[in-house]
Amino acid sequence: MPIRWLTAFLAAVVAAPLMAVTVVTPSRTAEVFSRADLVDLLEILRLTGAEVEFAPAAGSYTARRAGHEVQFTPGGSLAVVDGRLQPLPGPIRSLEGHTVGNLAVASALLAPLGWSLQGDVGSGLTLAQAGDAAPVTLVVVREGGATVVVASGPPALPRARPASGGLALLYQSPVRLAAPVAPEGGLGGASIDGNTLTLQLVPGWEVAASYPLDDPPRFVVRLASAFPTGEAEVQRSGPLVVIDPGHGGEDQGAQGAGAVLEKSVTLAVARLTAERLRAAGIEVRLTREGDETVALRDRTALANRLRADAFVSIHANASPARGARGAETYYMSADASDPQAAAAAERENAPAETTTLGLILWDLAHVANLNASARLAREIQDRLNVVHGIAARGVKQAPFVVLTGATMPAALVEIGFLSHPEEGQLVSQPDTQGRIADALAAGILAFLRNAPPPAPAEQP
Amino acid sequence: MRWLRPLVAAILLLVGLAAAAVLVSRSRGRSTAPVEVPGTPEPTPVPASMTLFFPGPDLALHRERRLVAERPPTTQRCAAVVLEELLAGSQEGWASPFTWPASVDAVFVTSAGNVVADISPPPAGQVQGTASEVGLIYSAVNSLVASCPGVARVQLLFGGRQVESFGHLDLSRPLAPRPDLVAP
Repeated sequence: MPIRWLTAFLAAVVAAPLMAVTVVTPSRTAEVFSRADLVDLLEILRLTGAEVEFAPAAGSYTARRAGHEVQFTPGGSLAVVDGRLQPLPGPIRSLEGHTVGNLAVASALLAPLGWSLQGDVGSGLTLAQAGDAAPVTLVVVREGGATVVVASGPPALPRARPASGGLALLYQSPVRLAAPVAPEGGLGGASIDGNTLTLQLVPGWEVAASYPLDDPPRFVVRLASAFPTGEAEVQRSGPLVVIDPGHGGEDQGAQGAGAVLEKSVTLAVARLTAERLRAAGIEVRLTREGDETVALRDRTALANRLRADAFVSIHANASPARGARGAETYYMSADASDPQAAAAAERENAPAETTTLGLILWDLAHVANLNASARLAREIQDRLNVVHGIAARGVKQAPFVVLTGATMPAALVEIGFLSHPEEGQLVSQPDTQGRIADALAAGILAFLRNAPPPAPAEQP
Repeated sequence: MRWLRPLVAAILLLVGLAAAAVLVSRSRGRSTAPVEVPGTPEPTPVPASMTLFFPGPDLALHRERRLVAERPPTTQRCAAVVLEELLAGSQEGWASPFTWPASVDAVFVTSAGNVVADISPPPAGQVQGTASEVGLIYSAVNSLVASCPGVARVQLLFGGRQVESFGHLDLSRPLAPRPDLVAP
């Protein structure tokens, strides 16, 4: 019996210190609730001087400090940091009346507020204000005619904004370049100012696309020459249409009965449509000529660089609803004219400086294109309804990635349902593809015939 | 055995001290999370009606009324209930927008009235075609905005991650509802 008591006593003595962890801050030392590797997140946040509030309606906590805000919910593994959603490295839990998470989670919540956490639960923790700038590594790769810049290092991804002569990446805390960057391809150089890393572009180059990647967090900027092959410089005698065969390469798209692949169907129909348009004297470019992987935003970027008169993305559909059949034509939703989307699209396409006026002008141009896009979509859909024998199916709007940022009338066409047993077979047959291409070409030609002439250039 | 008595007494004293230390530590470390007031009467559950949308073969979204036993007390809970009801599928024979055994893993409501919901991810290649994608996303967006007061826009995450797209729609930002996709 004494041995059992002794064991219980020793367990209690050993366990007691693990109930709390000592946290040292620049101004004080405090004991914070802890279990195993979990610590009380609210207490740690308050030790930084952050104001922590609970919103009963949302069931979430908000910590604010120095103009930054972090929102998180017990039971979740996500946080909203200054309005941007961010995955956390672990879950936030409720435990014995405390809101707890592991040290990685605590660090992720502290970083946007300008604090860092060092040490471990066993030996104690130190809270320090994050004054040291995080290193950013820039890797520059030449890819065909493009220059790809990959920025990595800081755990939180930056926001991108057009800047004078380049692109600014805004991080949540101060950054520094891990190594000097030599000019290469379209990248003229890089400079740091506090939280902002600015990529300077060589004159004549522009940002073709920019997007974040996870695991590890990276931000990719693709630079392209504004006039890659002199195409846009050449005075065209007639209209130019960019046809986008949806999917391709690793992205097979939908799969129909008999292993019919969407990427093959769209390429076949795009080629046939291009033939018919060229026969009518229209210049046509395809976003892919073969079975290639092309990023969605690069497809629109090509049309923008070529200053195309119309952009048509061809797809084949699939639906969980039994019996779904027929063609659908979409154009960009009006949502895309909201300031957030306009800013995103401007980042993708415009080499212009960051000015409110520039953003407003882009927005107006985009809204103006909505009407023309609706007309392009209707011209195509009306003719596809005849092919499929469907009386009245109108055009629809939705925020498609491949249409975001298009600076010309643009539409996405679903030529038929691969998921429908009969229609799926039909759209894979050359004669049906020919009739669909006839309808697409006729719709595009009708649109171009009725398109208003471009505005004359202003006289000085 | 008399020699054991002092040892037992010392052990009991130390155990008592350790227990007291634990209690003090717990009471000092307790956060200011919402506290239930003792004696508050249990509120009577009020049933609520929700409006869900499911895709049909005409490619439109179809309304379906759904009664739930208790009105969700918060926007966050409302959003979770709506999504769980959507995941349970249609009771009127419409297609299920979620074509995999999905679960609602987390729901946020931002101060701007945006719902951010984390859904378990679909297997690769599961969401195919624009119609599937539009049905999936806008059944959730339209249902949440129609059923939960105060919700303006919705962003769906899959597996805790922001998904730019399943190949068609831009899912990288909160989406507004689209009444034009609803069957007349």
